Amino acid sequence: MSNLWNKILYHDGQGWWDLPRTQWQEPNPKMEGPLGDGITPIKRIWEIMTAANLHHGTPGFYVLIGAILSIITIVEVWAFAWLFLGALLVPLMLVLSLGKFVLVVGFFMHLKFDRKYYAWIFTACMIIGIGIFVALLVLLNYGGQIQQ
Amino acid sequence: MASEAATYEIKSEHGEVINTSTGLSNKKLLMWAFLGSDVMFFGSFIATYLVYRNRSLVGPYPADILDIPITSVSTFVLLMSSLAMVLALAYVQDGRRKLGTFWIFAVVVLGAIFILFQVYEFNHFVKVGLTPRTNLFGTTFFILTGLHGAHVTLGVLWLMFLGFGSIKGTLRADNAIDLELAGLYWHFVDIVWIVIFTVIYLISARDVAPPGSVLWVPGAH
Repeated sequence: MSNLWNKILYHDGQGWWDLPRTQWQEPNPKMEGPLGDGITPIKRIWEIMTAANLHHGTPGFYVLIGAILSIITIVEVWAFAWLFLGALLVPLMLVLSLGKFVLVVGFFMHLKFDRKYYAWIFTACMIIGIGIFVALLVLLNYGGQIQQ
Repeated sequence: MASEAATYEIKSEHGEVINTSTGLSNKKLLMWAFLGSDVMFFGSFIATYLVYRNRSLVGPYPADILDIPITSVSTFVLLMSSLAMVLALAYVQDGRRKLGTFWIFAVVVLGAIFILFQVYEFNHFVKVGLTPRTNLFGTTFFILTGLHGAHVTLGVLWLMFLGFGSIKGTLRADNAIDLELAGLYWHFVDIVWIVIFTVIYLISARDVAPPGSVLWVPGAH
């Protein structure tokens, strides 16, 4: 068990907490520990985000996206349970879930970093899917009236 | 053969050998096309749910039965599994096998927890009297969430297979494309749940008996 713990937390014989004391002279090693650069001061977040290259982000960047997704979910549930928004509830929920959708597709599925063709394929299918969605809603809601 | 001549191999920045005939990975292209078809698949079922929303003639209705706190926790679990998935891929691509294996099995465990939540929810609904045959809400709800649960189950099995491959050393940085495909599938399952959670649980959770329908009394079935 302790062996597994050491293998998870240790990198090149050093614990992730055993970072250089002169951090302004020596950069921290990348992807340390099970959460990578996620356990770092807030000021490091911007460095991590900007360190994301064209192909994928860093683990710390993904942890940041995960945290944003969690916060949006908490806001959704809070707004549902404690804010009685009436007619505003549906648009608010749709906007928040769209935000989560874009974050997952863009960063977790790497569409932001990957070749644009994949994004076009998925977007084309989304447009067709939304078309089917709207057509079903219209036909099944108003189809009987059109026949009459 | 013209098809053989048109297919060649390239190396990605991670050293992966990628078969391509378009400059794009054939495997990844196929996965994106499949996910595109799955968008239409789930889009149809979500539209069907919305069409039949508030049209049940007998209960239980969504407001009688849906439990938002429990589903919020299972939604959070699935979101965190997506985070674990992207970390697993990053570490496997970086050649950090142990960390990659750790996060792959983290996804498996979180996915299994999500399925257990769904089993508990389905079991509870059946006990209080909502089955796929009870009313339109039951039919559309069980079909949509059940199909999503089947997708999650398939993803858990797939990732378990890849996790054992990582332990054995058959999943490496040079063939991390296999894990990337499973990751794309897993994230897609996550975004489908984002939509289902919003449409079924948050938007229609306060739907009560529509006019002309029979009010539902707990334990009266």
